[in-house]
Amino acid sequence: MFVARSIAADHKDLIHDVSYDFHGRRMATCSSDQSMKVWDKGGNAEWNCTASWKTHSGSVWRVTWAHPEFGQVLASCSFDRTAIVWEEIVGESNDKQRGQSHWIKRTTLVDSRTSVTDVKFAPKHMGLMLTTCSADGVVRIYEAPDVMNLSQWSLQHEISSKLSCSCISWNPSSSRAHAPMIAVGSDDSNVTYGGKVQIYEYNEVTRKYAKAETLMTVTDAVHDIAFAPNLGRSFHVLAIATKDVRIFKLVPLRKDSSSSAPTKFEVQVLAQFDSHNSQVWRVSWNITSTLLASSGDDGCVRLWKANYMDNWKCTGILKGDGSPVSGQPGATNLCKNVPNKQLLHSKHTKT
Amino acid sequence: MEKMSRVSTIGGRTVFCHLDAPANAISVCRDATQVVVAGRNIFKIYGLEEDGFVERLNLRVGRKPSLNFSCADVMWHQMEENLLATAATNGAVVTWNLARPCRNKQEQLFTEHKRTVNKVCFHPTEVNMLLSGSQDGFMKCFDLRKKESVSTFSGQSESVRDVQFSIKDYFTFAASFENGNVQLWDIRRPDRYERMFTAHTGPVFCCDWHPEDRGWLATGGRDKMVKVWDMSTNCVKEIYCVQTIASVARVKWRPERRYHLATCSMMVDHNIYVWDVRRPFIPFATFEEHKDVTTGIVWRHQHDPYYLLSGSKDSTLYQHMFKDASRPIDRANPEGLCFGLFGDLAFAAKESLMSGELVIELQKTNNHKQPDFLKDESQFQESTTWTMLRIMFSEPANPSLSSNHNLNKSGNLPLVNSFSMKEMSTALNERNKENRQDNLHSLETNLNNNDENEETEGSEGQAEYLFGDAELDDDDLYSMEHDNQAAEEPEYLLPQEAFPLRHEIMDHPSAPEPVQEKPESPHVSGSEAESTCLTSMESFSLISVSQLLFSPHLPPKFFCPIVKKMLCYYAKQGDVQMAVSVLIVLGKRIRKEIDELTQEHWYMSYIDLLQRFELWNVSNEVIKLSTCGAIMCLNQASTTLHINCSNCKRPMSNKGWICDRCHQCASVCAVCHHVVKGLFVWCQGCSHGGHLEHVMEWLKQSKHCPAGCGHLCEYT
Repeated sequence: MFVARSIAADHKDLIHDVSYDFHGRRMATCSSDQSMKVWDKGGNAEWNCTASWKTHSGSVWRVTWAHPEFGQVLASCSFDRTAIVWEEIVGESNDKQRGQSHWIKRTTLVDSRTSVTDVKFAPKHMGLMLTTCSADGVVRIYEAPDVMNLSQWSLQHEISSKLSCSCISWNPSSSRAHAPMIAVGSDDSNVTYGGKVQIYEYNEVTRKYAKAETLMTVTDAVHDIAFAPNLGRSFHVLAIATKDVRIFKLVPLRKDSSSSAPTKFEVQVLAQFDSHNSQVWRVSWNITSTLLASSGDDGCVRLWKANYMDNWKCTGILKGDGSPVSGQPGATNLCKNVPNKQLLHSKHTKT
Repeated sequence: MEKMSRVSTIGGRTVFCHLDAPANAISVCRDATQVVVAGRNIFKIYGLEEDGFVERLNLRVGRKPSLNFSCADVMWHQMEENLLATAATNGAVVTWNLARPCRNKQEQLFTEHKRTVNKVCFHPTEVNMLLSGSQDGFMKCFDLRKKESVSTFSGQSESVRDVQFSIKDYFTFAASFENGNVQLWDIRRPDRYERMFTAHTGPVFCCDWHPEDRGWLATGGRDKMVKVWDMSTNCVKEIYCVQTIASVARVKWRPERRYHLATCSMMVDHNIYVWDVRRPFIPFATFEEHKDVTTGIVWRHQHDPYYLLSGSKDSTLYQHMFKDASRPIDRANPEGLCFGLFGDLAFAAKESLMSGELVIELQKTNNHKQPDFLKDESQFQESTTWTMLRIMFSEPANPSLSSNHNLNKSGNLPLVNSFSMKEMSTALNERNKENRQDNLHSLETNLNNNDENEETEGSEGQAEYLFGDAELDDDDLYSMEHDNQAAEEPEYLLPQEAFPLRHEIMDHPSAPEPVQEKPESPHVSGSEAESTCLTSMESFSLISVSQLLFSPHLPPKFFCPIVKKMLCYYAKQGDVQMAVSVLIVLGKRIRKEIDELTQEHWYMSYIDLLQRFELWNVSNEVIKLSTCGAIMCLNQASTTLHINCSNCKRPMSNKGWICDRCHQCASVCAVCHHVVKGLFVWCQGCSHGGHLEHVMEWLKQSKHCPAGCGHLCEYT
């Protein structure tokens, strides 16, 4: 069963992104109203807004948390062509009594000349690195050489993807056998431009990122892209939100370590679902990468799960329009159209 | 009617033409057939034809064009179709008559301003009236029939950036200033303004009267904002505010669309935006054609909302068709979705688009979303795996194998046995913040009980408990931990964790006991423990079967490929916990079979997962137990602690806990006044502290420091 709880976010325009922190105790939202909010989980699992501030002078597209090892750090990117790194400072005690925390701007990255569409921190083992992608098709990788100094970021790499970028995802694998890898999705809707998902891999020899793969079968605009948590796998699983939900498996083929050519991959399509019947906007993996959630223009969230045969199936649909829900306090059961009867047999409903 | 029919006859598409030089301003004649482009080095008239722009006339004539041709602004008279006015950078205001027969069309020249003229404006209904605003802070009104200005308005502020005649009020005009002010004037009263208000912080670059609403004035400034003011009331009221991404150089209301206006910027941003002022955050439409700053925008016809003309520093003149504009709102992602650590799913959805109120829905996906039988199955699979492992690696020559379950006591895994039980259980114990001695005792006795059954079961139980199929159990895990922390139940013992699994094995056809209930039954009674011992029948039968399958003399090595395959299978399934647990338990038996890199990868992934769940102690145990060099050194880094004495605040030398200076023990609990061994927590403000549980207890009653120093302690 699913228990839904509505939070009046009180943003004045569309919310474009919501992001949990590493430990799942905090949540950040960003909106077109140019503001960001941070929510902390209270004692009885309700979410309290502990910070809300104006961040950019344009729509804020994405917000993302850094690994807590680097402090309480957020990054946001916006239509105003900038990406900003924020840090929470332990505030005055009267701030704390009001339950408010204070976030200060550590740096503004202004290299892009068009809207910055996504921002992601690199996996922790790579150090404190930040990636942005912009509507003019440039992916930029920044590094903070001194993790204690968040106001200094140097632009390490600029990758030109030639297509308007909409989303990026780092391969989270920490294995030394896997070179740092980043997948870039483009929301260019022109089908003739070919594959809209490009995968870049870091090459130790040339010290540059080079294109390793283009998923040629994805020709429609891609809105979101997400590598599954790796969890010791030797291969990579990639979920893509385009006009449908797709799950790809990338199996690295053996290569001799001395060669400077990028890794070759065997690309398999694990699943393809068009049951949203519309644009899919978001995909998100759970922590163990056993469940994939997708949301689309149909206003539904769908949950996907693989069985032991690696067949992916829908295990739940959640209505997300929430209009009747918002007025009622407390939990409302939103479980509808559950295809699998087994779901209804569960005994416990936790709030 | 006549107007409308004329509009519809003009078709067109998005077209452009190259100019010879950057444009500063453009203006269009009333019937939208011609457009004038003015700049520092250009002054030309283009005809608008069906398939593009055609150059009609070059007004820059003469071998050495005077500075009067260097235009900052240009305006085409809306009634007299041969009449143009330009504002020159040298302070001249020039009028041009296209009907003049000679090549030089210049008609009048007013050189009254001392500095650059920023703006010229014809009166909308009075043919001969022209207004100018200059950098020198003055506005002048000219009668074109006279040689000199008829009146001069002094803003008493800084430079004038824009002047605009009101469309509906015959006598009124608005002027915007570099210092952020906007003034309203009556042309009959040059002595002082009618009204003044501060519109922006920083210069107000432009203003525009609403074509229909007489009271509405839009202003744009360097503060990146466009504001719409209602001037019809006594008190000027800001009714809309649009925040753009760059300073606003021009603003023009869109014809026939009450709430729309177009803006462009003078630096950084080259795009033209059309905003719906009711939705001030996302542009309604964007024209992205220009490669350099857009300097002039004008709607092609005052009753046609579909075509916009623009001139730019990139030396192009564009006609934009509204249909070709990009709509940022269509490309903007309307939803947010994120999976939390504990199976929560946050989903941000739009409610109603313009109402403004948006709601996030947090869907906590419960732990039982998977059908029960599947959960059973996966647990059963894992317990079977462990059973098989035990069979494979236990003493092969034990004759009492199938009959006597005590075999494992004398099994050939004594080392593994002790480690897996003790170490792992300690980890488990620590995780529950139960470091107490008696607890450990009961733990060990219970573990000894377990020994009689199965040596690996203990770690299995724990492993299962941690992340069995994490998606299912994460929730439980979390809630349980919290319950413990909150309730501080000292009776909470390990056995409860170690045993339930066996319940599940024992009666796996039925639903497993929900994990949450475990803390509620605080004691496992002896009989229950017994019964769990007895119910290992399942394993019995398995063992006896395997006795038939395998010769008892097969060496453990024989199974290694199978085990390796099995581990890889689990890793492929993403069950890295299982893989790491087996690695740890089997130790050197299997280590050589799997390459170092893969092992390291598994360990790293598992440790990362543990740390996500804030199971620091467990993750440290795993690091300690691992055999990979790269992993083992993980907890060797930055282990130096610099300590100051809590009494005299001097650095302590590293000779134990007695401070050299004040000869007191530095780590005394402020509550019970005993020396703290184990977890010591202290306030970073006053450096007093003590036993974790004592301080927590204390803080429930008081916010002040237990040492009596008066500090309001903050434990972060």
